[in-house]
Amino acid sequence: MKQIIKTISHPKIFVYTVIWLMVLTVLGTIAQRDIGLYASQQKYFSSYITWLGDIIPTPGGKFTMIIILVNLMSMLFKHNIWKLRKAGIIIVHLGAVLLFIGSGVTAIFSSEGNMVIDEGAESNYVDDYHKMELAVVNTSKKNLDKYTVFDEPLLKKSNKLSHESLDFVIEIIEYYNNCKVQRRTKSSDIQYKGMMKNFDLIKLKPEKENAQNRSGIIYKIENSDSNNDGIYGLILGQSVIQTATINKQNFEFLFRKKRTYLPFSIELLDFKKVLHPGTGIAKSYSSEINLIENGIPRRVLIQMNEPLRHRGYTFFQSSFIEAPEGEATVLAAVKNYGRLFPYISSIIMAVGLLVHLVINLPRLLRKQMVGNK
Amino acid sequence: MKFCIRFLIAFHLIIPILNGREFDERHFPIQDGGRIKPLDTFARNQLLALYGKRSVKHDGLSAIDWIIDLALYPEKGQELTKVFNIRSPEVVASLGLEWTNNDHKYVFNDVFSGLQTQFELISEIQSKPDETRISFERQLLEIYFNATRFRAIAYSLSCLVPVISVNDPVLAEKLNSSPGEIVSYAHLIKYLPSISEIYRNMMEKPEKEWSKIEKELINILLELQEISSNETSQALKLIPPSHLDKTGTWLSPWELMDGRSHEPHQDKILIALEKYLAGRYEGNKNKMISAIEDYMVGILSIPTSKPEINLLKKETWVNEADLFYTSVTFYILAFIILGLSWMTQPKWMKIISYGSLILGLAFHTYGIYLRMVIMSRPPVSTLYETIIFVGFVVVVFAVVIEYLRRDGLGLFIGSVSGAILHYISFGYAADGDTLGMLVAVLNSNFWLATHVTTITLGYGASLVAGFIGHLYLIEAIRKPHDVSNLKDIHKNLFGITLIALFFALFGTILGGIWADQSWGRFWGWDPKENGALLIVLWQLMMVHMRLTGLAKPAGFALGMIMNNIVVVIAWFGVNLLNVGLHSYGFTNGVALNLVLFAALELITGFGTYYWAQTRKGRLIVER
Repeated sequence: MKQIIKTISHPKIFVYTVIWLMVLTVLGTIAQRDIGLYASQQKYFSSYITWLGDIIPTPGGKFTMIIILVNLMSMLFKHNIWKLRKAGIIIVHLGAVLLFIGSGVTAIFSSEGNMVIDEGAESNYVDDYHKMELAVVNTSKKNLDKYTVFDEPLLKKSNKLSHESLDFVIEIIEYYNNCKVQRRTKSSDIQYKGMMKNFDLIKLKPEKENAQNRSGIIYKIENSDSNNDGIYGLILGQSVIQTATINKQNFEFLFRKKRTYLPFSIELLDFKKVLHPGTGIAKSYSSEINLIENGIPRRVLIQMNEPLRHRGYTFFQSSFIEAPEGEATVLAAVKNYGRLFPYISSIIMAVGLLVHLVINLPRLLRKQMVGNK
Repeated sequence: MKFCIRFLIAFHLIIPILNGREFDERHFPIQDGGRIKPLDTFARNQLLALYGKRSVKHDGLSAIDWIIDLALYPEKGQELTKVFNIRSPEVVASLGLEWTNNDHKYVFNDVFSGLQTQFELISEIQSKPDETRISFERQLLEIYFNATRFRAIAYSLSCLVPVISVNDPVLAEKLNSSPGEIVSYAHLIKYLPSISEIYRNMMEKPEKEWSKIEKELINILLELQEISSNETSQALKLIPPSHLDKTGTWLSPWELMDGRSHEPHQDKILIALEKYLAGRYEGNKNKMISAIEDYMVGILSIPTSKPEINLLKKETWVNEADLFYTSVTFYILAFIILGLSWMTQPKWMKIISYGSLILGLAFHTYGIYLRMVIMSRPPVSTLYETIIFVGFVVVVFAVVIEYLRRDGLGLFIGSVSGAILHYISFGYAADGDTLGMLVAVLNSNFWLATHVTTITLGYGASLVAGFIGHLYLIEAIRKPHDVSNLKDIHKNLFGITLIALFFALFGTILGGIWADQSWGRFWGWDPKENGALLIVLWQLMMVHMRLTGLAKPAGFALGMIMNNIVVVIAWFGVNLLNVGLHSYGFTNGVALNLVLFAALELITGFGTYYWAQTRKGRLIVER
């Protein structure tokens, strides 16, 4: 056991993994120029395996950091480390362990997205930044819409989607991360429905900024026992809603950013942008909102560097939209269970390093009296 | 040490006496780049952009005299003052000008007529996205913008300059002047309603029957018409806004000529400015002095967000005093004296060198302090300020090291790196105003004070460590047998590395906390974050390599020299990627300098390392 700990806690492991982490950091930073931040983050930092040049498998950022964490933690089990002289060092490493654990918690449990709210309007859901969903809405009943939602992992080519609330099957024919709509030049004998009758979705290369991608989906409805069987297509941000009547039931098909509903809603009263006088440089942005919970509104001002925290969510002033119809605010909404870890661990590490410096610095900075001419 | 403290206190008492000067035209407040600054700063920055220097050298004109004379005599300024500095022979050729080898300064009129022949090309360049423009196109466009701005400045006060003479006694009385007096556009516009009757009578008669008065009137009106063609020249925002204005946007004199009603404070300043210009025009010193007094009264009567006259004076003083030039002079002096002391060895020379270094540091500190007071924000917020502040940090470390060691090591580090960093910062200052406003995300004093200051301290300490690394290797070559000396330097190096690691690590974590506070994520792998992370990782690696014996003292020194490259890339290099939140302050030519610096460090670092190793090897063999 001792031998194992000695081996896996050896600082040389740290040296080599940290060198590899530096390599990844450099590659991942340079790559942002070409593939954008999100894609580069996915490839180099949030992955277990990073494919260099798409052929050579190498340890990814996550994997590398796990090795560092294991190395760090086992170091604390070493016997010769628990000495007063090394108190600072122990504290620093404990703080580092906490920092890594925190980032793990964040990576696994946090969710983020944004809310776009027009001035005077109200919203109670958060759009995911990246993930999509397909929602099938049964609108047959007068005052009740029934939603059946399929998440992105299910939206894969040739996947068949079915659910007890739907008496038909949806087969995914194509799924594009980025695509555009193009008018068909030739008529086709395949059973195209809706938009697909006259248009086709054409796959595009992904954009650098993931937010600029327009995802699209082509799917087939089968076994509906009606002439609504056929191939449909949807694209993100489509203005006309795709409807179909199947077995005397009315359905709407929505392809959109994955939504998370909040137990409260936010109404935008006023969005303000203040410029440095006489220039186009923004000095501050702010949104005056009503936080409505159980029908009771509460006024809140969200501005740069001053977010609203409520029920585990944090809302930040992130961006805005100025259109002739009026202004809209874009709030970033984040739920992160790990957000306190960096605060605590940085305090611990600061204390640790200070202890270490206080113990050792006088010795390190002074010129030795012996051997001084 | 006691001496130093006493000295600093005395220094602090003397300086304010020097800068408590009378209010004058240099202090006139003007709005530019989002803040109120003294006219002196504005003039210097304009001159810097056009001419490349802060005063017109060959005419011996100060910036303030240049700008006021230009506004007072626009024709003369356009024809005679050579303020257009064109450094590219290609641009000179395309403007049909003659390239002179040592000078290449041109007058506006020549540049303008050259530009007129190139309008098609210029609009073509403007329609292109910036990154596709070649260097010639950028420079031509810059000259074009400069010319436009020059013109906007030249005529921006033309409504206040006395140029129209009123000779007829009746007209003069109605226009509130005396016969033969020369008055300004603004003055005439104000009293024009009182002659509307004469004008109406005149318009009913045919031209032949006009009386002498009426003929003079029509001449005056024609002159007014001509002057009003300058109404778009609105570069000098000298007039404070109406008290109802919410945006706080200041106005140029021409903007007030559009018939709107003036508020008392606006009128006071406008009239004082007119009086000042008239006094200057007539060469009447007393009139100028009394106008300046009126001007100050006008400023004091501004109802909302009044500019602080004290700060305007301070900033003007800072412009003139050039504190950073003074501090760099002392650093260089400290280095020269240190060099002499190496040759001749008397102890008192080292003390003088130390004093010079501290004196330089005092000016350096005072300069940073004044910038903080003027902008009311923490010391570091722009790339320029990081350089000034890193220089400060390095010299502070050097002073402490010298105090502890007293062998010239600190003096050497402080004087050399203080001077070098100052020179780099002068290069950045040439881009224009170094006291710029900040975009919304950065506009937070708390985080600027904590995160940015800490990380910059980290940069400074890292550079000191790199410097000591160099010294270690040089000493290892010079005196490989002096083991205790090398051991000493190595310990110092390790100590500074720990300090650097401390600041770099907490600067980075604080940055993450700021990011968490402002947009909800602690870490986003943004290039600047990655840059800071690289410094931390590199230093962690070095510390652990030392621990495991992977790096012996010489290797550790080499590693910390290489750390300099990492620091400089994190500091300046990520801006070259042009992505991410931190890509502020991009400057052309940075890339080349980075490569040169990295090459220099690689060559000297590895060169001295191997040399030191062979020396050591030989030493062992000899034994």
